[in-house]
Amino acid sequence: MKLAAVDWIFIVWYFILSIGIGLYYSKKAGKSISEYFLSGRSLPWWLLGTSMVATTFSSDTPLAVTGIVIKDGVSGNWFWWNFMLGSALTVLFFAHLWRRAEVVTEVEFIDIRYSGRAARFLRGFKALYLGIPVSCITFGWVTLAMVKIIQIIFGTSGVAALAICLGLTVFYTTLSGLWGVVATDMLLFGVAMLGSIVLSVVSVEKAGGIGAMVEAVKALGAGTGKDYLSVFPPLGQALPLAFFVALFVQWWAVYYPGAEPGGGGWIAQRMLAGKDARHAVKGTLWFTIAHYVIRPWPWILTALAALVLFPGITGAAPGEMESAYPRMIAFLPKGIMGLVVASLFAAFMSTIESIVNLSGSFLLNDFYRPFVRKNASEKHYVAASRVLVIFVSLLGAGFSYVLGSVKMGWQLVMELSAGIGLVLLLRWYWWRINAWSEIAALSASAATAVYLKIFPDNALVRGLGRGLEKAGFRVDAWGVGILLIVAVTTVAWIAVTFLTKPDETDKLLAFYRKVRPGGVWGPIARLNGGAYKLQAAPFFGWGLAVLMILFLLLGLGKVIFISFGAGAAYLAAGGLAAFLLSKVIAKIDWEGRK
Amino acid sequence: MRKEYRPMALGFWGIGFPLVIFGLFFCKTPAQRLTVFLSAAIFLIVGTLIYRAKQ
Repeated sequence: MKLAAVDWIFIVWYFILSIGIGLYYSKKAGKSISEYFLSGRSLPWWLLGTSMVATTFSSDTPLAVTGIVIKDGVSGNWFWWNFMLGSALTVLFFAHLWRRAEVVTEVEFIDIRYSGRAARFLRGFKALYLGIPVSCITFGWVTLAMVKIIQIIFGTSGVAALAICLGLTVFYTTLSGLWGVVATDMLLFGVAMLGSIVLSVVSVEKAGGIGAMVEAVKALGAGTGKDYLSVFPPLGQALPLAFFVALFVQWWAVYYPGAEPGGGGWIAQRMLAGKDARHAVKGTLWFTIAHYVIRPWPWILTALAALVLFPGITGAAPGEMESAYPRMIAFLPKGIMGLVVASLFAAFMSTIESIVNLSGSFLLNDFYRPFVRKNASEKHYVAASRVLVIFVSLLGAGFSYVLGSVKMGWQLVMELSAGIGLVLLLRWYWWRINAWSEIAALSASAATAVYLKIFPDNALVRGLGRGLEKAGFRVDAWGVGILLIVAVTTVAWIAVTFLTKPDETDKLLAFYRKVRPGGVWGPIARLNGGAYKLQAAPFFGWGLAVLMILFLLLGLGKVIFISFGAGAAYLAAGGLAAFLLSKVIAKIDWEGRK
Repeated sequence: MRKEYRPMALGFWGIGFPLVIFGLFFCKTPAQRLTVFLSAAIFLIVGTLIYRAKQ
């Protein structure tokens, strides 16, 4: 593809704007660790929520969705749409608790909730695990995806441009901390969405317009026996196990970056950076809406256009299906092409900057400060944070060079922690969970995942598979594996919880008084002189939030496919759910002072 | 205390104004032009809202 001068002018202008914004905040970020990693806990909901969604919108995300739609149709997106249930749960049950906890990182939670040597070990281990291998694999995966995009657009010469982009991103992120990250994220998300919308419009035009495209996709589906346009898997056939697992298990069991059960990673970091608990809740709600309702449709439209424009793509390799997205850029007119290329850079930068800032926070706050250098000055810790951010960036860049395919490694990381979600949710609401519960969950999940990798065809898998087939499911290895990992992990951590002593009473009481979580805190609540009650309102709110997202998602889809009557009905239902949800959110005392 | 957000507002205006030029000179079809003009309007409005937001 050849870019015109005007395309290059826009790309350079975009870089000047985004890097300029990042650098503006460098002085503010250098004041303290709280400023560097949490923006001084002063972020309003719209800023922290947009930063969450900008981070989850990576350069590989549109490609992944394109691949899913070409392979399985729109309904294939339930592989990730299922996380809306967990995200809504985080909004109503966890966002305010994170903000009340007032820790610096997700890992520091361990220090205020658990006691003893097990807690110290768990904190150090998770700081290193999340700060180095998980961060570097994420960094490497995102960078490799961007290299593939760049090579399609520019050929091999584009890799040098990507290296410069990476260097500049790390440069301003190192200097400006979370302030620079969230401020640039606002613009980067806007530009990334702009690019995906413009690309979808041009792609649909090339496919003959929306009506002709829909008819062509239906005809293609009739030929292959698939309904590419249906939002749900077809009824009347055996239910795919993967869909069942996604809908009923995955969202509360699997620790997936950006959709951690109860919040974690960069989601927790931004909730902790909110002005107060209410801002954390509203910001996470805005993220959930933007993530599940606003983002996907332009990508889905582009993927459906690709089905029409690239005959034979349904039989292609997965990598080629995903490449259909950047190949569409060739159809863009000059000027607009630069805009879309800049949008891909924006998606890439918004994820990279968050990863390096977050991993720096784990390594500094949860390893360097408690285990290597205690009681140093804030200036020292900020300087050390900057060194750690550069260290992680270099390591991540190295990963993307060394690993030909990070996807397998990435899947392994997911499977290693596939069963830990329940313990992460319940640790807020059940006093009996201790550091050993988490250690047991992590170990059992990892051990089962490794066992299934080495012995994928064992008697247990076969037996469970046959049982599920008899129950009417269309069985697949991934779904069986997740069910086994979750079952083994849950049994293991519950057993370990009851076999080990509870945490020290003073620690639990301090946590209970600070976070005021409600739930099952029997003896601790009595020591406190009264229990914080878990109200009914968040449960109603959760149901309303899920209905709202679902109706808005369906309504937008119907309107895009020119079913205006059904679209209006769904949007009205979504609007009603949103109205009722706003009433529920206004009613709840998020600070828990009453 | 509004100045904290102002660089972000400048960023949105900095993208919104060039979009108007793109809409006028580089879009080939009415659908493209409508998309780019609507996007430009959104960028300019969001920039203004951020500029006026209180910290």
